[in-house]
Formats: sequence, structure tokens, C-alpha cells
Amino acid sequence: MRTLDTEVLVIGSGAGGGITAARLADAGRQVTVVEEGPWVDADALEPFSLEEMATKYRHHGASLALGNPNIAYAEGRCVGGSTEVNSGLYHRLPDSLAADWETRYAIDEFTPAELGRYADRVEHDLGVSTLPGAPPPSSAMLERGATKLGWRNVEFARVFRYDAAGRGTKQTMSRTMLPRALAAGATIVADCRVERLLRDGNRVVGVRARRRHAGGAVERLTIGADQVFVCAGAVETPALLQRSGIRRNTGNGLKMHPTVKIAARFPHPIDHGDVPMHRITEFAPSLTIGGSASRRGHIAMALADTGLPFDDALADWENISVYYAAIRSEGSGRVLAVPGLASPVVTYKLTDGDLSRLARGIVHLGELLLAAGATELHPSILGGPVVRRLDELGAWWDAVTRSRANVMTVHLTSTVRMGEDRRRTGADSFGRVWGYRNLRVNDASLLPDAPGVNPQAAIMAIAARNCDEFLAW
Amino acid sequence: MVSAPSVPTGSPAPVAVVTGASGWLGQNLVRTLAAQRRERVRCLVPVAAEAPLLELVSPTIETVTGDVRDPATVDHLFDGVGPDVAVYHAAGVIHPRRAVRELFDVNVGGTQLMLDRARRAGAARFVYVSSNSPFGVNHGPDHLFTEDSPYDPYMSYGRSKQEAEQLVKQSHARGDLGTVTVRAPWFYGPYQPPRQSRFFAAIRRGRFPLVGDGSQKRSMVYTDNLVQGLLRAEVADKAPGNAYWVADAEPYELREILATVRRALAAEGLAVSGPERVPVPRLAARAAEKADALLQGRGRYSQALHVLGELNHTIACDITRAREELGYEPAVGLAEGMRASIRWCLEHGEPL
Repeated sequence: MRTLDTEVLVIGSGAGGGITAARLADAGRQVTVVEEGPWVDADALEPFSLEEMATKYRHHGASLALGNPNIAYAEGRCVGGSTEVNSGLYHRLPDSLAADWETRYAIDEFTPAELGRYADRVEHDLGVSTLPGAPPPSSAMLERGATKLGWRNVEFARVFRYDAAGRGTKQTMSRTMLPRALAAGATIVADCRVERLLRDGNRVVGVRARRRHAGGAVERLTIGADQVFVCAGAVETPALLQRSGIRRNTGNGLKMHPTVKIAARFPHPIDHGDVPMHRITEFAPSLTIGGSASRRGHIAMALADTGLPFDDALADWENISVYYAAIRSEGSGRVLAVPGLASPVVTYKLTDGDLSRLARGIVHLGELLLAAGATELHPSILGGPVVRRLDELGAWWDAVTRSRANVMTVHLTSTVRMGEDRRRTGADSFGRVWGYRNLRVNDASLLPDAPGVNPQAAIMAIAARNCDEFLAW
Repeated sequence: MVSAPSVPTGSPAPVAVVTGASGWLGQNLVRTLAAQRRERVRCLVPVAAEAPLLELVSPTIETVTGDVRDPATVDHLFDGVGPDVAVYHAAGVIHPRRAVRELFDVNVGGTQLMLDRARRAGAARFVYVSSNSPFGVNHGPDHLFTEDSPYDPYMSYGRSKQEAEQLVKQSHARGDLGTVTVRAPWFYGPYQPPRQSRFFAAIRRGRFPLVGDGSQKRSMVYTDNLVQGLLRAEVADKAPGNAYWVADAEPYELREILATVRRALAAEGLAVSGPERVPVPRLAARAAEKADALLQGRGRYSQALHVLGELNHTIACDITRAREELGYEPAVGLAEGMRASIRWCLEHGEPL
């Protein structure tokens, strides 16, 4: 068995791991990043294509949280993590939420001003901007519907930089923080899955890992490390801790943004190259409306959700785009590593209030799309009904049931919550796992709750903040 | 009638929109609004059978039949009403018929839709009828809820009304709709539903359970008092953006409520039988409360368990702020109001 040694080991290379690697390497630490997924050239695969899903997503994009109903979820599994596959939308953690979390979980130095300082730096480092020109038609539909109804809406900023011709490039971790870490001397090991942490009393001394080489050969590795940062996301981070015998407040309290969708048919073509950047904030924070990736494959999947025939609609796919309503959920779930299974079992329980909010969300979304000129709405409800007029929308209230609603999510958080209230947190105010001197979590797991907005901005700001605390220590 | 203290007010809107118009409170409210000679009182009722009787009350009453969750129905409700309209949103589910989910669908979903349409109509004011349930139960028999009490919802109904109250407040914060929340405790008064008639019938026969010694308190509100509070909320200058407790002048001890109802029944010529008190140990009420919570956790609901569980607690409020800022003054007290309720039952053939 090969043995490597590093000063700092970062497990995972997404929004949390990427920021951590760059900041610690910049500060002169010797950093090694291990990533379970492959290193894929950011330009090699068509964004939002099915090949991309197969290559860069865990379980090819088809992971499942068990419950009534089951909830499908998607997360990136590649160098750069979910920043490689998401829509790049960037929204700072709302100040009111930061203040609420600070008191509720007794998080030190978690004021809006403190977080704002780190958000400034992240935005400067990555590049965060709104569109230089007019929005694409898929996004303009959201704006049009909202304007007609008088609903507040906003064009979200994205982690994008634009060239002189106005062409945008998403500033993923593999394009920004990871090259920066490499330039500062870090090593990145892809296709390398950490199986467990090696502990010695209250210290972690390293990890045991398996690395898959091109051609399929599997190499067993032991990586010794002085400091370990686990940044594997809200599902894999607690699973790794549990496999390593660290079970206290890890994996429970999983939060997410449960989401329902509508494939909306318009009497005119809709672009499919970009993802809508407009969001309806009228019902925020409990409920947000936006648009999803809408390649032909996505449209086919969305149309299939009703279980009704959709050949006619699919033939017209260029006029169709997919939109969603996402809620903040009162329910919660858990992640449980099971010996013998590579993937943990994930469960999630939606409350009656959650289900009602999802029904409300899909009715609001339907109204907005009809106001924007959509002529046919295919909801993510088994049995539909497909709706063409406003007076048919009310039927969705009773159609969104536990057995008929197709619910999914792309935002998972809160499985190793941060804060000084030890009864409810798995890590301290800066991500240090309770009971361990040199083990830290620095990813979406730390967020005490789902933020009601795309979480990557909060993850990045918190990760940067925790790095500074570590460096000052 | 006690004259209301004077507080600065605007004038009532010529048009009123009322949801839950065929309900217990709605029937009382709509009759008062019609008597005020408003140009129009547009009413939402859930089933068509309830519309004709309401329309008989006054030619100014118009009805729309449908579901308060349904966008097209609520559009009809606001058809052609114009901006000189006050909205009274009283539709809600207290005891769901099928599943707990109904509480959230109607109480939260219906409220969001009404707020949205009221804003689009440019309504002058939106008055929301809320409840004590977002605040749970008092810490002891002498504790009173005020407008500064923190949310601590009692089970699913309480959570649904809390969420709705928050939507009402957010709508005000948005800046283009003046909203007021009126928090009413247990009502009594004419147009009562069968559950209240069963309450009277049980007391009459000495079968109503008195949990513990009956010293726990209840704020109650006579429907006419509540209607006065709602009307004040429509016009009082200080009201928008706020919530107010509106109840009878003082809370009553539960044993006093039962004794008063028995006296009122006798005074209206009804024979009263059985013991005045049927003591139930507090333990039984606590067991009912636990069973209720367990059932609701699985989406199901039992009215009997819910009511028995709640009877163990003091649920009482202080109406000082409604007095000061709305100029609200309850004119009717328990004995008079209960007698009026019983007379209404007798006149309408309600079995007691």
C-alpha cells in the first residue's frame, strides 16, 4: 500500500473544498485535495447535457432520498463538485437568516457584517455578475409573467465572467480556485475515494483511500495528514464521519429545498442554451420560483412526470421550457452510512405543511406561466392534470399528494451543523468537529438550515471565514 | 351600547369583500356590513346552497361560490370591485374534515391568494381574522397574551394560522396593501355551527367535562363584539401593519363559563339536568393532548381529542391595545351573549 503525507488534506473539491484548498495553499500550507470523481475538462462536455449528467453527477444524477414521497436529488461528483454542474446562480445568505442562525445555534462571529466581508472577497476572487445584455427568452418569460401579476422578481447574479463580446463563462471551481491552489503548490488527486479517517485519540492522523486509475486498476492508499478538512457535501461528509466512528450529531437534521416542476409550452420557441437567471421573490423566503435547465432530455423527463402521453408536446420541444417552485421545508431527514454499502441511506420526511407549500408553489408557478403566455402546463404530478386555462389550476391543490407528487432537490445541507450549542451541532462555530483537534468540516453540511436561496454563496463565504480562523489559530 | 373611545379613523370603504361569509363569524359580519348601507358586499361561500339565503339578507349582498384556494374563483370575487374596497378574510379551517393538510391549504394558501388579489385590486384595507392558536397556551391562570407575546403555535392549526399571519404582515411590509390581523379567541353568538350547539346540549345535561377544578381561564368573544373589532380595524388609522387581540373585556374561568351557560339555558326556559360539573382529571386531558399530537403527526385529526386536550389550559388575552389603537370596546358580556346565542338556537330549531 502506497503512503502519502501532506500537511493539510482536503477531502472534496466543490464549493467548500475548492475555496479551502485555494486559501490554505495561498497561505503557504502544503495542501493535498482528494476528489472521488473524475477530472473532466470544463469545456469538454456540453453543459446540462445527458453526457455531463453521466460523467459529473453522483449516481448519474439519479440519487434518491427515501420517504413518503421519495425525493430525487442530484449532486456533482467530479473535480469542482456541484459548481461544475449547477446553474451558477449566486445569492448571499440573507442577513435575517444569518442573524437567526447566530442566536439559535450560538455561532460565534457570524454577524451579517462578518459574512458580508467574506462574501465580498469570494465575489472578487470568482467574478460574480449579472447579464451584460438582455435575458434569454426562457428567463424573460419569468420576468414577463411576474410583471403582469405585479410579483417581485429579480435577475440573480451568477458566478460568471463575460468577455468583450458578451460571452459568459461560469466560474466553476475547476476554472478558478483549484487552478489557484495548484499554482500555489497544492496537489489534486482525482478518482480517489476516501473510505475512512484514521484516528488516534482526539486526533485524526490520516485517511485510507482507494484510487481508480485509467484502465480500471484500483490502488489502495494511506494519506497521512496533520490537518483534515472534510468537504464532501451534506451527504458524503456525514457518511465519511460515521464510517470513521464519529456519529454524534452527524447525519441527522438533513435539510433541503424540495422542488416541484412544470414543463411549460409556449406558442413560440424558447432558447435552451442557458438556464433562466430570473427568480420570483414575491413569496420568499418560504417559496421561490425559477427556471431549470431545459435541454431536450430535461424536457422529456419533465413531460414524463405526469405519466400521461406526451408525444405531441415532445415533438414541439423547442417551444417548451422547464420551471420550478422550491420551498423551505419544515421537515428534515438523515444520512446513515450502512456497512457494506458504498452509498449511505438518505431519508427525508416532508411535513403536511411542506406538501401544502409545494401545492401552493406549483399553483403560483402555473399562474405565472399562464400570465407569461404559456398555453400548456405539464406539472410534476402523476396523473396531471395538464392545464391550459387559469380555471383549471385549482385542481392541482388536491393532486399534489404524497403518492402523486414528483419532488426533487438539488440543495442539501445541515448534516453537521455548526455552532456552540453542542446538543444541536456536530462542529463548533468554525467547523471543527466536536472532540477532535485537527478535524474540520467545511461545506454545505455546516449550514444550520437550508437557506431558501441557492446555497453556494453561503457555503463559499463560510468556508473562507473558517479558513481564516484556522490560519489565525 | 358602550360608545367607543375616539381614535383617529378614516371612513369605511363603500364596497366590502368577505370570505367565509356563510360561516359563524361571516354571517354576523355580512349582516352588519349590509346594515351599514355599503354599496356592495361581495361574499365568497364554499358551496352554492349557501348563497341564496345570504342574498336574501340585502340586495347589496352578492355571492361568489367556490374554493378560496382557487385563483379563478378569487378572480371572480374581485371582478369589478375597484379599489374602494375593504377585504375581510374570514375563511379558514379550524377542524379539518379529512386530513391535517387542509389546514395549511386553506389557511395559508387561501390567505396568500386573497392578499395577492387584494393588492392587485388596490384594496384600501385587508383585515385578517386570526386566532389564539399561533400563541399556544398561557403559562398560568394569571398570564395574559399581549401583542408582544412570542409565537408558540398549538399544533397544526396554530402553525397554519401563524404562517398566514406572517404572510399578512409581509404583505403590509411590501408597501402597497394596508393589512391588519385581528386575533379572536373562542367565539359565541348567533349562526353558531352544530359543534357549539352540541356544547350547549352537553352542558344542559351535565355531560360537559370540566378538566381539573375549572380555574383555568378562557378568553371568549361574542360575535357582535368581534364584528365591532373588525370594523374598527378597517378604519383605525394606527391599525395597518399591526395585529390585535379582540375578545370580551375579561377572560372567564372555565367553571364560570359552564355555570353561566347553565343559568342562561334555564333563563331561556330550558330544563337543565345532571350535575353542574363533570370533573375530568387533568391527566386525562394531558393524555388526549398527547394522542391528538400523535394523530396530527400522521396527518389525521380528531376533534374530540383536540378539544379535550385544549380544555386543560388557560388561553387568555389582554385587549388593552385594541382599546387604545382601534377604539374597540366590547359591548356584550358573557351572560347576555350566551342568552342571545341560546335564543338564536331556539328560533332556528337548533337541537339543544
